[in-house]
Amino acid sequence: MDIAVTGVGVVSALGGDPAAFAAGLRAGTNPCVMREFTRMDGSTVKAPACLAVTAEPAGLIEPRKLRRMFRLARMAAVAARQAVTMAGLDLSALDPTRVGVVFGTSLGSLETTQKFLDSYLDNGERAASPLQFMNSVHGVLASQVAMDLGATGVNLTVSQRDISFEAALAQGARAISEDRADVVLVGGADELTPMLHEFGSRLLLFSREAAHCTPDVQARRPAVVPGDGAAVLLLQRQGARPLARLRAACVGRCNSKGADVALLALREAGIGGPDLVTNGRNGSARTARLFDRRERLLRERAGAVAFVSHRGQFGEYPTAGAQQAAANVLMLAGREVLAVPGLAAAPATILHDGASASGGHAAYVLTANA
Amino acid sequence: MPTHPSSQQVAITGLGVIGATGRGVAAMDQALAQGRDGLGRLDLWQCELAADFPVGQYRGNLDNDLREARPGTFAARGGDRLLQRMSRSDKLSMVAALEAVAQAGLTATALAEGRTGCYLGQSVCGTLQSEQAYAAYRGGARRRETLMALFQHEGANGPDHLADVLGLPGPALSFMTACSSGANAIGLAAEAIRRGEADIMLAGGGDSLSRIAFYGFCSLQVTSPDGPRPFDAARRGMSVGEGAGMVVLESAAHAAARGARPLAWLGGYGHSCDAHHLTAPHPEGHGALAAMRQAVSRAGLKLADIGYINAHGTATQDNDNTEALAVRTLFGENAVPISSVKRWFGHTLAASGAIEAAVCVRALQQGVLPLNLGLRELFAGAGVDVLREDRKAPGLRHVLSNSFGFGGNNAALVFSRAE
Repeated sequence: MDIAVTGVGVVSALGGDPAAFAAGLRAGTNPCVMREFTRMDGSTVKAPACLAVTAEPAGLIEPRKLRRMFRLARMAAVAARQAVTMAGLDLSALDPTRVGVVFGTSLGSLETTQKFLDSYLDNGERAASPLQFMNSVHGVLASQVAMDLGATGVNLTVSQRDISFEAALAQGARAISEDRADVVLVGGADELTPMLHEFGSRLLLFSREAAHCTPDVQARRPAVVPGDGAAVLLLQRQGARPLARLRAACVGRCNSKGADVALLALREAGIGGPDLVTNGRNGSARTARLFDRRERLLRERAGAVAFVSHRGQFGEYPTAGAQQAAANVLMLAGREVLAVPGLAAAPATILHDGASASGGHAAYVLTANA
Repeated sequence: MPTHPSSQQVAITGLGVIGATGRGVAAMDQALAQGRDGLGRLDLWQCELAADFPVGQYRGNLDNDLREARPGTFAARGGDRLLQRMSRSDKLSMVAALEAVAQAGLTATALAEGRTGCYLGQSVCGTLQSEQAYAAYRGGARRRETLMALFQHEGANGPDHLADVLGLPGPALSFMTACSSGANAIGLAAEAIRRGEADIMLAGGGDSLSRIAFYGFCSLQVTSPDGPRPFDAARRGMSVGEGAGMVVLESAAHAAARGARPLAWLGGYGHSCDAHHLTAPHPEGHGALAAMRQAVSRAGLKLADIGYINAHGTATQDNDNTEALAVRTLFGENAVPISSVKRWFGHTLAASGAIEAAVCVRALQQGVLPLNLGLRELFAGAGVDVLREDRKAPGLRHVLSNSFGFGGNNAALVFSRAE
């Protein structure tokens, strides 16, 4: 596999566009703030969170279209448009049947789902909202982006917890390598709503401690700092200005014997040991055990020595891997080290080792454009 | 006309179906043979709309189905503790999956030690449970089980349960493209086998009835008080259904090596997006046409090779108009027999394309095309050969199955007879 990554789009807590995102990473910015969440009983609580900043869609998407989009779709569509702009692509000059959209999302649009539920719980089943219903379906995320871009090719939404984005990346890459598309926008998006925060904090999954409002992914805390956002990579068979190259993307189960997909990805990419491994370490004790094990294996089997996760600067959400992918591409494109302690030289090869506590495992290899 | 395995064909060695026709392929066969629809009154929860619109509901006891399922992997690896964590949607998919695995003659060891995975298409997933949890929470419930049930909303639960119970070491993914999800999952799983990423993939779709789906489609005013009458002049819409369909897909070489006899071949997969409207198909059927054309082409066939089309045929005004237009544009007027089986099952959303894959395989095996149940008078200008009764087709070699979903997501699959 040798696919050009020619564009990146990001709507994140670090900023609403790739430049602000890269600047935030470079500066080691801590985007976490103590936010006030309103609970369903009307009470409020303050808790640390990394909510994506409001994206500035001016010049990217017509206001008429934006009005029809719910928050999650808006973040995804803006990130997709940013990626197209960065790639310098004129979509109107392309065959739309060869332009695809593949997104990962774990929970879809919780905002519209809740509104739909409220519509019949408040007003009766005969008053359920058709608008909220149609937008509550997970797959509508990729459809909204496709409608905005006029992309009539491959259109998929993958939902597989913490590897949703990485699995979407593998599907998008396959669409290009098998000649089912020339251009694929691959993204990941999830949103933090007050309802999700309320449930997550009551289950002690989300931290309420002000002391946890730091981007320390090496901490072993009982709960995570939640976040949200969207990020998109634009994949092309050949790009005029590649930022990086995708050399492998594999998906499997991390509890399988003898079928480790990170090692498989390295083999497929023809790379012995990567300069850098990124993963989903997020500062929680639960995932620390998983990534301790993963890092030990990759040290032993692939000679990997440098590991980093930028999730502390994204906040934890299932498709935060999309922001990590954007960071990885920007690192390779700029040949610079974005807040990677212990790594002196800019990496030329990055392995991403994505894993979910429920057993999902996905890995990809990016290299600098030669 | 290829009816033998080629590099592009993937063997189907197992089928599993559950839905309004009952549990299992045999129950489906019987319902189809008797022309008996599975529609009835919704009784999973109490609501006013249940009196107005029939649904395609599975009436059996899913927990007992799973406890009794063979092979005995569910009892061994899941059991009652897992049952408590599974949504109704997960259980439907699991029942269908275990039937498919049993028919394929795959042992637990073969699945766990082979290059195996699963792709599951879903649309509403476990929302029957998560919407109950949300309502209970609004009403003051704060128990941990209530809070945890919200996460039944996640699509990953279904494939994770399948992978854990069956010990599948390869990719386990949930594809969510609304009502085309099951067909896309099957098509994408076949692509994974063709690429050599897996030898065996369990693929299909599952969805349960839920308030979100039932009230949602009612709110769109696309549900019919007298059930679906696909392609009928007086059609008034769909019936929401639930169920699951699963197939065991296998590389031809792998099936041959273990002496498994293919039930049929999956030859081609086409996929497109209308990029037109969230719920309405493109008025000229561009996306549907592109998906069908791709599927036939990738199967290495000519349009004239297709002997039957299993229509998406939801019986909504928009779908049937557009699908008929796309079919006659591609194949010509009244060129290929076509039928929709939505009146048997209801519209089972993500499961529909997978259940209909099983219908297509059985049509190829039996040489009988299923009638379009519910049709009284074909709508004017349809220009398609809708089957008013079962039709014997002993020479049937290749069939096409359409699945279309919200967001203009289109999938088409081509199945070929195994000699």
